Amino acid sequence: MKLSSFRYLVGQGFDNVWKNRVMAFASFCVLLVSLLLVGISVLFYININAVIGGIEDKNEVIIYLLDNTSDARIAEIGETLSKMENVSAVTLYSREEAFADLKESMDDYSQVFESLGDDNPLPDAYRIRINDISMMDETVAAAASLKDVEYVSAPDSFVELLTELRSVVAVIAIAIIGALLIVSMVIISNTTRASVFARRREISIMQSVGATKTFIRFPFFVEGMINGFMAGAVATLLTWFTYDSLVEMLGKFDMLSTIGLGSIIPYETIAIPVTLAYILFGSLIGAMGSVFSTRAHLKHKAVNM
Amino acid sequence: MVELKNVCVTYESTGVEALSDVNLKVDDGEFAFAIGRSGAGKSTLIKLLLKELDANSGEVLVNGYNLTKMKKRKVPEFRRTIGVVFQDYRLIETMTVYENIAFVLRVIDAPMKLIRKRVPYVISLVGLQDKADSYPSELSGGEQQRCALARALVNDPALLIADEPTGNVDPELAYELIELLQGINACGTTILMVTHAHEMVRHFGGRIINISQGEVVFDEVIGGAEVEAE
Repeated sequence: MKLSSFRYLVGQGFDNVWKNRVMAFASFCVLLVSLLLVGISVLFYININAVIGGIEDKNEVIIYLLDNTSDARIAEIGETLSKMENVSAVTLYSREEAFADLKESMDDYSQVFESLGDDNPLPDAYRIRINDISMMDETVAAAASLKDVEYVSAPDSFVELLTELRSVVAVIAIAIIGALLIVSMVIISNTTRASVFARRREISIMQSVGATKTFIRFPFFVEGMINGFMAGAVATLLTWFTYDSLVEMLGKFDMLSTIGLGSIIPYETIAIPVTLAYILFGSLIGAMGSVFSTRAHLKHKAVNM
Repeated sequence: MVELKNVCVTYESTGVEALSDVNLKVDDGEFAFAIGRSGAGKSTLIKLLLKELDANSGEVLVNGYNLTKMKKRKVPEFRRTIGVVFQDYRLIETMTVYENIAFVLRVIDAPMKLIRKRVPYVISLVGLQDKADSYPSELSGGEQQRCALARALVNDPALLIADEPTGNVDPELAYELIELLQGINACGTTILMVTHAHEMVRHFGGRIINISQGEVVFDEVIGGAEVEAE
């Protein structure tokens, strides 16, 4: 294909958007709704993950050491723990610190603590945070097997609940996104098919004067891409506005952090991937939808004019 | 050149035999009228010549292409050697007169220089200079037919097929149109005009192919005066 023909066909694609504006608008609306449905579902899933992740960050395993463990051994255990794969943070919680905290938290029982004098019954301990809570059992077992470790305290049932919750959310989200994708593809396919069908006469005329399939399809491809691009751009703006409003509302009441959950991801951090995804997917779906519908039409109606 | 050898066409859906053992030859530079009543097989003949449908048996040769053996990907290339004028004009509604005509040259990747030269020429040939920027919906039936004719001619085809070109225009315009076709034929273009306007055919005379119930029942060259005498 010559460059002049390429330019002509691209120009035809742009012209056709305006010339067939009613069908183009219908395709645009369908693409927009489909993109928003899928996009919002994905964002919802990402945020649910982030919120659950917020709880995970608060997970803490406490490793109690045996009495009379030497300072050198305590430091050695600390080093071993920090080298473990699933451990993200290690903090020494000394028996003195623990005793002071206990006294402070049980202020009403000061007489009991006075009777103890300097006799501190609490052991030295390490507080560790772990990366992947689904690997909690293995990490706890590894810590418990260390020499001079007396006991390891881990929030087992909580971890199980979180892991289960995340799996359920993932399955539901994937099912919803999958269903929405299929529904969207069916609607987009039908709309583009209707758009192509409305122009079947034009296509048959092109065929009768000897236009190749590529020559006929190319402007439809460009047209679909333009529609998809615009739908992607508008979906970006709508998502941005809605998302920001939601974040502002939740931020105002500080609802999530109040109940110990993680916070919603700020739009600024996901703006670029969201925009690119909307525009790329919009353009791709728009273009491919048009091409497939035109191809199907040309295949079935090739000889009918 | 058009040649049909023992061609049979039966529509599978209805079982109707549209063409039955048809043998026909139109030489280069000829002007032939194909006449016949509705349902006689004229439209099937045109579809066959445009490779819009295939013969069940026999051989169809057009402009050096054997349509019986032609692969699908060769069809566009073949169609570019033919100009077609349809009864319902078949102009692209979203394109102007100029664009409709230029489209045929765009399809064959013609250089812009040629398009700028050739399109105004054929527009003037059919007398639509003042309507070049008009859309089909802004033209009368006669003007649309002339635009369709210009589109059929712009590629300088070896064969021009006109399917009932006078069906939607008044008699005066119909006669003008055939005179225009005769002028084009005089320049060397083979013309096959399908029509049921027997009166007009009698007026002009020439080679007349009469199709009836899928068979060629009459194929002779007669002068206009002779026909009048009959």
